[in-house]
Amino acid sequence: MTDKRAKNEIIKEQSRQLRGTLAEGLLQVETGNIAEDDHQLIKFHGSYIQDDRDVRGERGKKKLEKAFSFMIRLRIPGGLMTAKQWLALDTIASTYANGTLRLTTRETFQYHGVIKSNLKRTMQAINAACLDTLAACGDVNRNVMTAANPHLSKVHKQAYDLGKAISDHLLPRTGAYHEIWLDGEKVEDQSRDANKGEEPLYGVHYLPRKFKTVVAVPPDNDVDIFAHDLGYIAIVEKGELIGWNVTIGGGMGMTHGDLNTFPRTADHLGYCKPEQAINVAEKVLTVQRDWGNRENRARARLKYTIEDRGLDAYRTEVEKRLGYKLGKPKPFVFSGTGDPLGWRQSIDGKKGEDKPWHLTLFIENGRIKDRPGMALRTALREIAELGISEFVATSNQNVIIANVTAKSKAKIEAILKSHGVSLDISSRLRANSMACVALPTCGLALAESERFLPELITALEDGLDKAGLRDDDIVIRMTGCPNGCARPYISEIGLVGRNPGLYNLYLGAAFDGSRLSKLYAQDVGKDKIVQLLQPIFLAYAKGRKSGERFGDFTIRAGYVKATAAGNKFHADIKLA
Amino acid sequence: MTVTPLLPKNAPFAPEEIELLNKVVARTTPQQRSWLAGFFAGFEAAQGGAAQPAAAAKPRVPLTILYASESGNCETLAMKAKKAAQKHGLEAKIYDMADADMALLAKAKNLIVYAATWGEGDPPARAIDFYTALMSDAAPRLDGARFAVLSLGDTAYVHFCAVGIAIDARLEALGAARAADRMDLDLDFAKQAAEWSEGALAKLAPAPDAAASGTVVHVDFTGGGYQAEDDEPQFTAENPLEAEISALVNLNGTGSTRETWHAEFEFDAPGFFYQPGDAIGVLPENDPALVDQLLRASGLGSDAALLLKVQKGFDVTTLSRAAVENYAKLTGRSDVKKLLDGDAFAKFASDRQLVDLFETFSEKLSPEQLLSLLRPLPGRLYSVASSPKAHPGEAHLLVGAVRWASHGKQRKGVASMYLAERRKVGATARIYVKPNRHFRLPSDGKTPIIMIGAGTGVAPYRGFMEERVETGAKGKSWLFFGERNYTNDFLYQLEWQDHLASGALSNIDVAFSRDQPEKIYVQHRLWERREDLQSWIADGAHIYVCGDEKGMAKDVDAALLKILSETAKGDDDAGRAKLKELTKAGRYQRDVY
Ligand code: SRM
Ligand SMILES: Cc1cc2nc3c(=O)[nH]c(=O)nc-3n(C[C@H](O)[C@H](O)[C@H](O)COP(=O)(O)OP(=O)(O)OC[C@H]3O[C@@H](n4cnc5c(N)ncnc54)[C@H](O)[C@@H]3O)c2cc1C
Ligand SMILES: Cc1cc2nc3c(=O)[nH]c(=O)nc-3n(C[C@H](O)[C@H](O)[C@H](O)COP(=O)(O)O)c2cc1C
Ligand code: SF4
Repeated sequence: MTDKRAKNEIIKEQSRQLRGTLAEGLLQVETGNIAEDDHQLIKFHGSYIQDDRDVRGERGKKKLEKAFSFMIRLRIPGGLMTAKQWLALDTIASTYANGTLRLTTRETFQYHGVIKSNLKRTMQAINAACLDTLAACGDVNRNVMTAANPHLSKVHKQAYDLGKAISDHLLPRTGAYHEIWLDGEKVEDQSRDANKGEEPLYGVHYLPRKFKTVVAVPPDNDVDIFAHDLGYIAIVEKGELIGWNVTIGGGMGMTHGDLNTFPRTADHLGYCKPEQAINVAEKVLTVQRDWGNRENRARARLKYTIEDRGLDAYRTEVEKRLGYKLGKPKPFVFSGTGDPLGWRQSIDGKKGEDKPWHLTLFIENGRIKDRPGMALRTALREIAELGISEFVATSNQNVIIANVTAKSKAKIEAILKSHGVSLDISSRLRANSMACVALPTCGLALAESERFLPELITALEDGLDKAGLRDDDIVIRMTGCPNGCARPYISEIGLVGRNPGLYNLYLGAAFDGSRLSKLYAQDVGKDKIVQLLQPIFLAYAKGRKSGERFGDFTIRAGYVKATAAGNKFHADIKLA
Repeated sequence: MTVTPLLPKNAPFAPEEIELLNKVVARTTPQQRSWLAGFFAGFEAAQGGAAQPAAAAKPRVPLTILYASESGNCETLAMKAKKAAQKHGLEAKIYDMADADMALLAKAKNLIVYAATWGEGDPPARAIDFYTALMSDAAPRLDGARFAVLSLGDTAYVHFCAVGIAIDARLEALGAARAADRMDLDLDFAKQAAEWSEGALAKLAPAPDAAASGTVVHVDFTGGGYQAEDDEPQFTAENPLEAEISALVNLNGTGSTRETWHAEFEFDAPGFFYQPGDAIGVLPENDPALVDQLLRASGLGSDAALLLKVQKGFDVTTLSRAAVENYAKLTGRSDVKKLLDGDAFAKFASDRQLVDLFETFSEKLSPEQLLSLLRPLPGRLYSVASSPKAHPGEAHLLVGAVRWASHGKQRKGVASMYLAERRKVGATARIYVKPNRHFRLPSDGKTPIIMIGAGTGVAPYRGFMEERVETGAKGKSWLFFGERNYTNDFLYQLEWQDHLASGALSNIDVAFSRDQPEKIYVQHRLWERREDLQSWIADGAHIYVCGDEKGMAKDVDAALLKILSETAKGDDDAGRAKLKELTKAGRYQRDVY
C-alpha cells in the first residue's frame, strides 16, 4: 500500500533528528539557497529561507538566482529580556540582518535578510546573548506567550514562570542545533542537555504541525487565549493564584476557497491546579502528537483533531494519560486584547514602597528601525544602554520598557523625545492595529500588509473624525494571506489579502477576543474599504448602546451574522 | 545565426593549402559559396564520384518561449528549454510575459508556454496584463502557429494549474495548433517537466534536412571557425565592425553599489574572429552634453555639425600636457603657459579633463582651431566574455560603469557610459578584435586551470568555461571570484551554478568584501585554500588573474608568492623563482587593467 503521509512526515523521519543536510548546505558558496528538504528542517532551528519578492522579476534576467536570505525568529518565553540582551540583539540587527528588529505577534523578535554566509555567526551571536532560536518555528511547541510583563504583579510573574517552564519542558532535545550552529558547544541555558541526542517527547516525527501555547491573566486577554492550540487562564482569589483554566483547539490559519479549513476559537478543556499545569501541557501535546492528522497538513492542527474526534474524546484521553480528572472551568472576565499603552505601575507590592513603573510603547506593526524624524531603534538602544530597565515584547507587536523607578521615568521620556518618538498615537484605531509582515519577505503573501496598513488607517481616520470616534477603541488587524498571522479573524475589523491590492473584509469579532468575525466584503481595495467602513462608523457613533463594542454593534445592526464557532465561520455569509 | 565558412584545421588539406583557401573563402559572399558548392557537387556528379557536397548548416526554425512566473520555477524551465532548443535546430527567443505583448504573440510561429498559477487560480502578478489581453477580444488570431503549454501548480490549491489550462485552451481557440499535449505539474515537477520540454521541442523541431543523410563529408560549421594566431584580424580599430547590440543588461541587482553591464553584440561577419582571452575594442562616442560644454567654452555652442563631428571622432576628456602646450600656443595666454612650469601641470591636471582647461581659460576658437587641439577618440578594450563556439556570430562583454565626481563636476567614463547610458538594444556600435596571445586556455584540455578575478575581471573566465564545454575539455577548473555583496554582485551566478552542476567547473570560491564586519578578498580565499592550490599547481595547473591591477592583481600576486614560498619551506626566493618559472612556462597569465 502506498504511503499516504504528508511529505514533511517523511522529511522529518529521514532527517536524523533535524540534521538533514543543513551543515553541508551552509558550505555551498555558489548558492544562497539550501536543499529543498532542508527548507522544512531549518524551521525547527528557528529560521526560514526566504527571497526578496520585490526584485524577483529582475533576477533571472540579471543571471542572478533569487535574492535569498534567512529570517531568524528568536525563542523568548514571555518576551522578557534584560537591557544587555536588548543591546546584543540590536547590534546583531545591523551587523548581520537588514538593520531592523521585528517584534512579532507572539512576544519575540525576527531578523530578516541574513544571508547564508552570515547565518551561523548570527546564531552564535544570539547564543552569546544567552538566547536561542530552537523551536521558534517547526512542528513543535513554539515560543510560549504569557500575559505581558511579569513585573506587573505576583500572578503575572507566576504566569511567566509557567510559560517559561512549559517552553523548556516541551523543547526538542536533539543535539542537531548545537552541532550545526554552535559547533557542539553548550548553551548557557540549563533547559537543554546536548548529549541526549534523541527525543523522548517528539520521537523522529515530531508533531503533525505547529503547536502554540499561551498563558493569560484576566482581565487582560492580550495573548488572545482563544487563538492558540493550548491556553492557560489564571484563576485568582484575593490576589492569590489558585489554579488555571485550560483551553485547547484555537487557531487562525485557513486556505482561501477551502471550506474544510477555518479559524477556530479554543474550547475549555477544564481546570487544573498550579502544580499540575506542566504535566497537563505535556499530555495535551502528546495526544495531538498521536491523534493529529499526518496526511493532510492543511488539517493537521489540534483544532481539527478536536473537530474530527470531539472535545470529550480528547479530554478523556488527556485525563487517561494524566491519571486524574480535570476540574470544571472557573469563571473569569476578560476586558480586551490590546496593550494598555503608556506608563503603568505594578499592581501589587508592599504598601508605601516605590512600586516599579512600566512604559508600554506602541510600535507600528512591530518594526523597529530608524526613520527620518523618528529614530526609534536608536532611542531604544540608548535606553538599554542606561541599564536601568528590562524589556518585554508583547503579543501585540509592542514593547514594554519594564521595571524602572519613578525617578528614571523622566530620563526615558527625554531620550524618546529627543529621537522623535512620541507617546501619543494618531488614533485609538491605530493603537489597536496589527499587521503581519507579508511582502517582501513572506513567501506566502498574496498582498501587502505591514507596508500598507499604516496608510489605510490614515485614510480611515477621516471617517473616524466625521463620526467622532478617534478616541474609541476599535481593533483592526491585517494579514497578507489567510494564514492569519496577525489574528485577523478575532479582530473587530479584519482584512485578509487575496490578491495584490485586494482584501477580504471581516467584521463582528468580539473586542475581548472570544468570538470570531464573519466575511463582510470580498476583494476590496483601499478606497472601497474606506467607503464600506465610513457609514458603519457613523451608524455606530449614532446607534451604539452605552459601552457597546464596535464588533458587537456590527452584528446587532445586521451588517454580519455572529460566528458561533469555527466550523460556522463560512456559514450564513451575506456580502455587502 | 552566423557560421564562419572557414576550413577547420582537420580539413583534408595541407596546412598551407588550408590557409590559402581560407584567405579566399573568408571574403566570399553566400552566393559565391553556394555557387562553389554547386560547382564541385556538379563536377563530382559528372565524374560519377560519390562524395556529396558538405552539409550546409541547417536553417534554424524560430521558436518563442513565453513564461508566466512568480517564484521563478517557470522561468527556470523556460531558460532550460532555450538552451535545449539549439540541439533541436530551433532558434529560441525567450520572454517573460511581463515584457511580452499581443504583437509579439501574433508573430510567433512556434510557441512554448510555461505558466504558473498563483493566488486563487490567478496568473503571477507580472503576467496579469499579458494574460488579460490574451483572454480578451484584443487577442490576435493565431492560425498557422503551433504551440505547447506546460502548467505548474500545487495540488493543494482549489484551482490547480488554472492559468496553464486556460492559456492552453485559449491558444487553441485562437486558431493555433497544439503540437504537444499540455501537462499540469505539481510542486515536484522537475523530472517530468524536463521530459515534457524535450518532447515538445522535438515536436516543434524542423524535419531533419535531407542533405544530412547519405555519404556526407561532415564539417562542423557551428564551431565559429578558427584563426591561425599570426593572422591579422580583419576588423581593427581602423576598420571596425558595425555590430548590433542584441542584449544590454546591468547584472547587479537593485540596491547594489555596483553597475556592471553585460553587453552582447551580434554580427554576420565571417572575418570577425576572436578567442576566449582576447579583448574586444569598442570605439565609443562622447557624451553630447559634455561636447556641448566644450564647444560653449570655446564660443562654438551653436555649431551642430561640429558637435556631431567631435562627439563621434575626437577625445574631449583626456587632459594631456601636449593639449595644454597647444592651447597655450594657440591662445598665447601666459596664464595657460604658466601651467607648464614645474609641477603646475600635474597639480592642475589631476582629476581634471579638457573641458576644465577650456572653461577655466575660456577663449573664442574657430572650428579648425578647436579640432587642431583634439586627438582622435581612442577605443576602449574589454575582455571578451564569450566563446564563439558557444555563441556563433556573437561577442559578449562585461562593462563596469565608470562615474566619479571631481572639482565640482559629475564625470562619466566615455566608453562605459556610452554603452551603459547612451546605447540601447537594437542600436549598433563599432567594435574590433584585440587578440591577446598571453591569456589563453591551455592547448591540452586536460590541464587544470585556476581562474582568479574580481569584478569585471571574471569576464574572460565566462568565455573560458564556455570554450571548455564546447570542446569537451576534461581538465579540472577552479574559479576564485570577488565582489562587494553576495546577493547583488555575484556576476553570472546562474551560469557558474550550471557549470558546477555539469561538472565543467570543479571548484568555486567567493570573496564578498562587504557582507560581514571584516573585509574578505580573493587573496584571503587563496590563502585559506592554499593546500589544494599547491597540489593543483603540482599537477601542472595554469593560473589566470584578471581584473583591476591596483585593486586586486597586486595582492593576488603577493598571495601566490606567499603560497609558493610556503611550498618551498618558507624560502621567499625559491617562491619568487617558482612564480617566474610558471610565468615563463605560460602557466601564470595575467590580464589586468
Ligand atoms: C512574524 C509573524 C507575523 C507578525 O507580523 O508578527 C508570522 C510570520 C509568518 N508566519 Fe505566522 N507569523 C506569526 C504569527 C502567527 C499567528 C498568530 C499567533 O500565533 O498568535 C498565526 C495564527 C495562529 C495559528 O497558528 O493558527 C500564524 C499562522 C501562520 C500560518 C497558518 C498556520 C495554520 O495552521 O494554518 C502559517 C503557514 C503555515 O504554517 O503553513 C504561517 C507562516 C508564517 C511565515 C513563516 C511564512 C512561511 O511559512 O513561509 C511568516 C514569515 C513572514 C516573514 O517574512 O517574517 N503563520 N502565524 C508572527 C510570528 C509569531 C512568532 O513569533 O512565533
Ligand atoms: C586589456 C584590457 C581589458 C579590459 N577589460 C575590461 C573589462 O572586461 N571590463 C571593463 O569594464 N573594463 C575593462 N578594461 C578597462 C576599459 O578598457 C576602460 O578603461 C574602462 O571601461 C573605462 O573606460 P571609459 O571610457 O568608460 O572611461 P574613461 O573615459 O576612459 O575614463 C577612465 C579614466 O577616468 C579617470 N577616472 C576613472 N575613475 C576615476 C575616479 N574615481 N576618480 C578620478 N579619476 C577617475 C581615470 O583616469 C581613468 O583612467 C580593460 C582594459 C584593458 C586594457
Ligand atoms: C501563495 C501561493 C498561491 C498559489 N496558488 C496556486 C493556485 O491557486 N493553483 C495552483 O495550481 N498552484 C498555486 N500555487 C503553487 C504555484 O503555482 C507553484 O508553487 C509553482 O511551482 C510556482 O511557479 P513559479 O515559481 O514559476 O511562479 C500557489 C503558490 C503560492 C505560494
Ligand atoms: S499572514 Fe500570510 S502573508 Fe502574513 S506573514 Fe503570515 S503567512 Fe505571510
